[in-house]
Amino acid sequence: MKSLLETADLRKTYTVGKIEIEALRGVDLRIREGELVAVMGPSGCGKSTLMHVLGAMTKPTAGKVFIDGQEISGMSDSELTGIRRDKIGFVFQKFNLLPTLTARGNIEIARYIHGKGVASNGHDQHLREILQLLMIEGKMERKPSELSGGEQQRVAIARAVANKPAILLADEPTGSLDSKNSEVVLNMFRELNRRFKQTIILVTHNPELVAFTDRLIEMRDGVIVSDNDSLSWDTENELAQPARSV
Amino acid sequence: MNKQMIIAGLKARPVRTTVSILAVALEVVLILVVVGLTTGISDETGRRTEGVGADILLQPPNSSLFLALSNTTMPIALRDKVRELPGIKAVSPVQTLVNSSSGLEIIYGIEPDTFNAVSNGFIWHRGRLFNSPDEVVVDDIYAKSKGVTVGDSVELLNHKFKVSGIVEHGKGARLFVSLKTAQEMTGQNGKASMFFIKLDDPDRVETTIAEIKRLLEGYGVIPLREYARLMMSNNMPALDAFISSVVFIALCIGVLVIFLSMYTTITERTREIGILRSLGASKKFIVTLIFQESAAICGVGALIGIGSSFVIARTIMAVFPTLTVLITPDWIGKAVVFAVLSGIIGSLYPSLKAAKQDPVEALAYE
Repeated sequence: MKSLLETADLRKTYTVGKIEIEALRGVDLRIREGELVAVMGPSGCGKSTLMHVLGAMTKPTAGKVFIDGQEISGMSDSELTGIRRDKIGFVFQKFNLLPTLTARGNIEIARYIHGKGVASNGHDQHLREILQLLMIEGKMERKPSELSGGEQQRVAIARAVANKPAILLADEPTGSLDSKNSEVVLNMFRELNRRFKQTIILVTHNPELVAFTDRLIEMRDGVIVSDNDSLSWDTENELAQPARSV
Repeated sequence: MNKQMIIAGLKARPVRTTVSILAVALEVVLILVVVGLTTGISDETGRRTEGVGADILLQPPNSSLFLALSNTTMPIALRDKVRELPGIKAVSPVQTLVNSSSGLEIIYGIEPDTFNAVSNGFIWHRGRLFNSPDEVVVDDIYAKSKGVTVGDSVELLNHKFKVSGIVEHGKGARLFVSLKTAQEMTGQNGKASMFFIKLDDPDRVETTIAEIKRLLEGYGVIPLREYARLMMSNNMPALDAFISSVVFIALCIGVLVIFLSMYTTITERTREIGILRSLGASKKFIVTLIFQESAAICGVGALIGIGSSFVIARTIMAVFPTLTVLITPDWIGKAVVFAVLSGIIGSLYPSLKAAKQDPVEALAYE
């Protein structure tokens, strides 16, 4: 499998008043296409910052980030926006659905921004399969306030993968769910990965989540302290070829 | 999809949306009704003055086209000089009075014979001409608005007058007294505010005006058929300045309300903007979305404003029949442009602020 995402000596420093906080202190990471990876660590270890950098939401202070063969650390704001639009899907702890739109509207706005619009029959085949998998076909006309937490998160997942992103980044996706709904959502991540070969990175501090992933990366104090990657890497030039869309 | 988002966003905040729409409607109403009243009164006064039927209006130096504002006079003896010019059929001196106790009413002090000669006479509804200094002739609109008829008393300039007759409107003023009465009331015996001049051949207007200007240097001489056009705001610097001030104030109201509405909207929706940015929405997308939302408010506000202006105009004219509100298509167009302009200016800063928000910070906003 080829490398889809790679960082080299990645650093991110925040300045709060006169204090500089080193959230990432030299992260070297490689993620293969189709992997389901958990990034774990205690609060404040830098895992959310890592997710924001990998998701082109913020620029690193130093180091390099390659997404699907493109080095993004020197990109402009509009170029980063394009990367987010074309290659990244986000799932957040607080769901982050647009409250004024229905579930369908939330998915359609992502497709609209991506430029896919809405298929004449309402959904294309891929989206229909996603909705079936996430078991939310019957909830599409409801607003977020009319959905349970688990349902909201499943709509958020559907929105995140509606445009077939190269990478799905999930930040504490079960953080606002009870154990039953957490298990349902995690199984759905697993299924998305299995059925659609979707590359997924789950950022969490919940150790139970590890059982659902292929690989565990542990972080502490802004650096990776362990990585149970069991597969070997091929040549360095694997990054030169863009990944196939799922 | 944008349309769906905009409608959903506006419906989610019904009170703010309604207030914003009403503020834009108020802006449009303010422009259309005030401009309509101003131009309506000017236009109606102009047409009424044209309706006298004379060919030329002669006024003393430094007179205003607004007859109510002119207190300059000229000797009636000048009439003889004017009459000596070739092609003059009749010259009628008129002394104007202004009664401001109930609105702004112009009273013509006239010589019945010469006034009839230039105007082809009144069309009588009831009664007769004044026979004594305390009698007044009123037009039908004045009679209807004041609810007076022949024999009733009206108080004008602290004098009690008896209505001797009611005539068809459109002969300059709405009230007519004798020239002598008007001169005595203003203390301008032997003088007049203006002369209406009738020619034997109306095609000689320009030639005669040139001759009068040579004869009476510095006097105001205009063809009466152009009076209404000259009364329009673009020919009246003071009126133009007044209208510009009203439009500016209305525009400020619109800009401030849209600004406040959009600014609070984007503050409340910081997280939503963060979500859109995380989905890959560009800055342009965010700016466009806010502009479109503002445009929707302005569009609906403008429509309500136009409709309301017509209702208010009809109400004004029903309650005050002597007033005219002239809402013209070009001012409707201008009011819509001003409403849209206030939307653009008012939402410029909020939209740019929204677009500049950092996606990570926006998502963390509580």
